Amino acid sequence: MTTAQFILSGWTWNPAVLVTGACALVIYVAAFRDHHRFGWFAAALGVLLLTLLSPLNTLADGYLFSAHMAQHILLLLIVPAFLLLSLPRTLSLAAGPRVLGHPLLGWLAGVGAMWFWHAPALCNAAVASRPVHALQTVSLLVLGSVFWRQILAPREEERLAPPRAIFYLFSACVACSVLGIIITFSPVTVCSIYTMQPNDRFGMLQTIRTGWGFSPERDQQIGGLLMWVPMCSIYLTAIVAQLTRWFAQPASPTTRRT
Amino acid sequence: MNEMATILGRAGLLTAEQREHWKMAWLSTVDHKRIGILYMVTALFFFVIGGIEAMCIRLQLAVPNNTLLHPDTYNMLFTMHGTTMIFLVAMPVLFGLANYIVPLQIGARDMAFPRLNALGFWLVPLGGILLHFSFLAGGAPAVGWFAYAPLNETPYSSQLGVDYWALALLVLGIGSVSVSINFIVTVLTQRAPHMTLRRLPLFSWMIFINSFLVILALPVLNAGLVMLLIDRRLDTHFFLQPGGSAIMWQHIFWAFGHPEVYIVAIPAFGILSEVIPVFSRKPIFGYEFVAGSTVAIAFLSLLVWAHHMFTVGLGHAVDLFFVASSLLIAIPTGVKVLAWSATMVGGRIRLDTPMLFCVAALVQFLFAGLTGISHAVAALDWQTKNSYFLVAHFHFVFVGLIVFAILGALHYWFPKMSGRMLSERLGKWTFWLMLIGFNLTFIIQHFLGLAGMPRRVYTYPDLPGWGWMNMVSTIGALFMAAAALLFVWNLAASFLHGKPAGDNPWNAWTLEWAGPSPPPHENFHELPPIHSRRPLWDESNPDRPDPVVGTKWQAETTCPEKNKAAVITFIISESGFFGVLILAYLFYNATPQPGPGTHNLNLLKTGLFSLCLFASSFTIWRSEASLQRGRPRAMAGWLAATILLGSVFTIGQGLEYWGLFQSGVRVSSNLFATTFLTLTGFHGLHVCVGLIALLIVLGLALAGDFKQGGTPALKSVGLYWHFVDAVWVLVFSSVYLLPHLR
Repeated sequence: MTTAQFILSGWTWNPAVLVTGACALVIYVAAFRDHHRFGWFAAALGVLLLTLLSPLNTLADGYLFSAHMAQHILLLLIVPAFLLLSLPRTLSLAAGPRVLGHPLLGWLAGVGAMWFWHAPALCNAAVASRPVHALQTVSLLVLGSVFWRQILAPREEERLAPPRAIFYLFSACVACSVLGIIITFSPVTVCSIYTMQPNDRFGMLQTIRTGWGFSPERDQQIGGLLMWVPMCSIYLTAIVAQLTRWFAQPASPTTRRT
Repeated sequence: MNEMATILGRAGLLTAEQREHWKMAWLSTVDHKRIGILYMVTALFFFVIGGIEAMCIRLQLAVPNNTLLHPDTYNMLFTMHGTTMIFLVAMPVLFGLANYIVPLQIGARDMAFPRLNALGFWLVPLGGILLHFSFLAGGAPAVGWFAYAPLNETPYSSQLGVDYWALALLVLGIGSVSVSINFIVTVLTQRAPHMTLRRLPLFSWMIFINSFLVILALPVLNAGLVMLLIDRRLDTHFFLQPGGSAIMWQHIFWAFGHPEVYIVAIPAFGILSEVIPVFSRKPIFGYEFVAGSTVAIAFLSLLVWAHHMFTVGLGHAVDLFFVASSLLIAIPTGVKVLAWSATMVGGRIRLDTPMLFCVAALVQFLFAGLTGISHAVAALDWQTKNSYFLVAHFHFVFVGLIVFAILGALHYWFPKMSGRMLSERLGKWTFWLMLIGFNLTFIIQHFLGLAGMPRRVYTYPDLPGWGWMNMVSTIGALFMAAAALLFVWNLAASFLHGKPAGDNPWNAWTLEWAGPSPPPHENFHELPPIHSRRPLWDESNPDRPDPVVGTKWQAETTCPEKNKAAVITFIISESGFFGVLILAYLFYNATPQPGPGTHNLNLLKTGLFSLCLFASSFTIWRSEASLQRGRPRAMAGWLAATILLGSVFTIGQGLEYWGLFQSGVRVSSNLFATTFLTLTGFHGLHVCVGLIALLIVLGLALAGDFKQGGTPALKSVGLYWHFVDAVWVLVFSSVYLLPHLR
């Protein structure tokens, strides 16, 4: 199969995803229609559907570790962030046990999701078994939301103050980069299932290996690099946003001549 | 030498009662202003040495096929020149400037930890002596400033030069980390009331951000140096075949080395951000952007080291990602250049010497940045790497930006430090000689590089164009030497006979200019009110003050406790050190190797001892809680339990080592043994340090010191102890548990 054919035919019409997406859309429109933040929600839903239905998903499903990594980053860092941004600014997320709002928990959720799902056994299981894969997808979205909640909670007072937020994001970036570095330079295979290719459903293996030049070693390297460099750029973007939030604050007359 | 005491006394740099013992008063000082000056004088001394080395290099290269220097001597000279200029000149002079200026700018009495500050300084001369002692011990290192493996290993550099080099850098690295921890804590906890983080002068802000870079990057180098020393002294193979990896050294070195460029560049950015507004008579254009882009630069600089390794052959995939991330740095640096230029637009520019140096630094930095972008493109980098094009590029950064900015800063702040103005006439001569000399030396080197001249050759054949271009470069270097001499002369002459400076000779707006020059021992008797980023402007222009910079977050007005802040900062830097050691362990043990391995370890026994260590985190937490509830006796009890548990762990580790030793395992047996003993050994060392600290606290507690509180001390030691435990969690998982999971 050529690349062009693959882009046309590599879509997975996963009914569970489509139904969930439709429900989410209906609920969002019904609940938050008047808050003028539909753009963010559309972006979240769009990225989610593209991640789970497009040929990227087919590639991640047994062909390419790097495609899996791209999916992983989109589900953990992009979709939850857009989702939180789509919520009306008056909505409080403080309900629930207090421990859920602790920054350390958020940090561990974001970083843990990365490390946990890249333990070789779990990484393989998520490709080999449907239920584990579904569990992984849901857990990434949930853990990503817990992570971003500290930064992007709709209410200003529920977010971390900018200096702390920068530290939170920076340390999370370092913790994930370390894993990215390990995956990039590791002489052993992290996710061995991608090197075996048991089931070439689309007849794409030839194109990927020779046409695209993705040998298993390079595939893992690109996976590690995705986690290392572009992911850090996401954190950097968030850090710059925090700096903007910090410095953009207008002069408040109340503190004048204190 | 009583004249010296008289001179210092007249300049206000000695009090009357110190005149009798003026040497002691200066050498034993813990005052940040004196330590700052000591830093700068030391840097000046090494600048002369590094400069002489540079002149030797240029004289040797002046004509083709020159025989002035022996090839080995030449190799030593360029190695020592690079190492000296970076570690003994650029870093100390910037630390010295920051030491002097930051506490004054933030309205503080002194640095947060004056004694630690003195330690940080005295490690510089120690490192310098260690490095230069190599000349007497069989020859200086001849391996280049980045000492690539395996050239830096015993089979290829058998003399002691590299050992002294590594030891010196280790000492200097520890000094840099300690002074940077001090800067961070000072800025976080010693600011005057109302001097919020968002009102910080840009120089202080950049030193603050830069210090994080130091505490993150230097420990990486320290870990690499430790591994190199173990290789060289204990016959192991971290960076040497069989089994070792020379590329590992490059990764470690550049993971430090790229941030290092910014460690010396960001303070220079800070200098430009202070001087350009003052001499343009305008506030800085886009304070927020200059401050914010500094954070982005610091962040990115940690991310792009592999662009130093395009020619290693890491693969196209790796190259591609690092081309992209390296190019990103152009954005925040571009923002800065734009902000400085926009500050000058429409200003009433006064071209005094400090401003001349800073404007030249700005223009030359722009040029350095453009050639820098060309190096970020891998395909171009393959052609120009290791040629004089690269030499020209980084000298445009290090001299064109950093040295020019430092000279600007010294002309700018010398009146504050000495109470006297530098001679403007000599200053202008220095500037023009320096400007002509620098550009003559280094612009032509771009073309030499493009014509194919490689760096680090002691001589070259008489190829078309090479001879005269090198001659031009050498003539330029002579101009620079003249400028340096003139500058030193200016410093000495103006210190003795310069025009009195007064409080604020440049009409600047930050707090260091608020009091007399030089400032009194206690810095300030009274601070002007602080509502904006230019308190002195507000004071002299009450009818049109700067807009008030508000406070919104509580974190901006409250300061953390200083001991706690220091320990946390220290822990961050230690994490970098252990991070490298753990990564090295994982990398070298990814595939099993012949000889000893994890099968020699006893999971169960070590597991039990580890439980003791983990339990000690609980006991120290109880100890803190007891102290908080005002029960010093219970606190001492829990503390003793902590020490006991820690000792049990240490004994357990000792037993394990003994067992390994009995079964014939040595540090040089294979890479498993090397990495295992290095990693657990350094952890054990930290446990022992923690135990000593705990014993001291226990001793103080038994002596009754904690009856009146004193929680911060215990909390700080406790934090460190938790960190040691946390490191063991990682070490235990990766060494003992991981093999069982596979």
